[in-house]
Amino acid sequence: MMTERIPVRAGLLSLASVLLAALVSACTSTTIDEFRQGETGIDASESIVILGRRQGSNYDTREEFVECVGDHMGNGRDGLRVIPEQEFVDALFPWFEPRTAPMRSSDLEQLMAQPMVTDKINAYGIRYIIWLDGQTETVSQMGSLSCTVGPYGGGCFGFGSWEDDSSFEARVWDVSSYEAVGTISADANGQSYLPAVVVPIPLLARVEANACNSLATQLKQFVVGG
Amino acid sequence: MAVQAAVKRWVARHPGRRAGLVRLLVVAGLLTGCGANTVTVEGSYPTPNIPSIPLTLGVYYGEDLTGFRYIEYNDRGNEEYIVESGPSHVTLFNTLLPSMFEEVVMLNSPTEDAGVDAVFIPSIDEFQLALPQKTRLDVYEVWVRYNMRFAEPGGETIADWVMTAYGKVEQESLRTADSSIGGATVAALRDLGSNFALGFTSVPGVNDWLQSNP
Repeated sequence: MMTERIPVRAGLLSLASVLLAALVSACTSTTIDEFRQGETGIDASESIVILGRRQGSNYDTREEFVECVGDHMGNGRDGLRVIPEQEFVDALFPWFEPRTAPMRSSDLEQLMAQPMVTDKINAYGIRYIIWLDGQTETVSQMGSLSCTVGPYGGGCFGFGSWEDDSSFEARVWDVSSYEAVGTISADANGQSYLPAVVVPIPLLARVEANACNSLATQLKQFVVGG
Repeated sequence: MAVQAAVKRWVARHPGRRAGLVRLLVVAGLLTGCGANTVTVEGSYPTPNIPSIPLTLGVYYGEDLTGFRYIEYNDRGNEEYIVESGPSHVTLFNTLLPSMFEEVVMLNSPTEDAGVDAVFIPSIDEFQLALPQKTRLDVYEVWVRYNMRFAEPGGETIADWVMTAYGKVEQESLRTADSSIGGATVAALRDLGSNFALGFTSVPGVNDWLQSNP
């Protein structure tokens, strides 16, 4: 009897896993748009820096997202040399603070006229400055979930669902020509579910992580050029 | 003194019940511990990358700056947070000024005769704290308004101007309110530092004085 039951149970588990994986992966969609304004390319001796825009009153580009894109661009055999954001901002203080950072690529030429700024940027070997601007928002929520705890135990029952929407834009400035060479935007959205029958089982859409991966991959290709 | 007198009266009326008094004082001490949280702002600030001005600057930090503390009250009028940012302001200016000027001399009074070219006296006019539980926003925010005074060594004012600074930190589930308030204050001080370093020579009175005292 046991020999018959085990394959059936294993098969059901496998089927459930495949369905779960399909459900989770089907919950997120990402769109990448690229607008190229100039030629790009980078030497092994050159580096890039990725900075988050933080001068808006209603949101800041999260440091974690900037770090995520930087990590992805720096990983792998073809990884680029990425200068950490905080290290760069501290080293170039006070020129890249939220209220003093250059807003347009034309401001870069003016900034590079400062000898101390030029020296620091040259010392880091920075070829491209990439400005990230955007956020992830929860755009809709539905369902209800209730949990109770009693003397003999507790549990939850119900169903919750919400949709996350990530929208990020990366502007690439070429430090050697003081020009904007392109813009890449990443829009990702996905539905997360939280069904609960005694135990809540979160099925989370990794919206921001997908936006980060897709944007970093596209940015790496863009910067390397060719 | 009033508390001391009350304790003496209680001991006189209830001889032999000192143990009860000790318990009462312990409970009172614990309740006091649940009162206002003191946030001591601790931050380090980068050195500015700007050319230094060929001046010997005297700096005077008044007690209103070095000992500055802001008290945030809750809806019932009780002290909720005490933000001590005086020493952090001193750290900021002590980092900025030696990079901005050829020589910096600390003064014991604004008019001390120390052979300096000019004297700088920063002070805090107003400090505001916005907490998520009050604003319903997911951020801790700090606004500070400063009065900056640049004077002749004898005390005559060269320029007197107002500067504002703003800092915010997003509310995070694993970060304490104390740490977030400290972080928002450090961000505001950094904002002040960047604007002060880049804008000092553009302040009208300062600019005129620098032109006439090359």
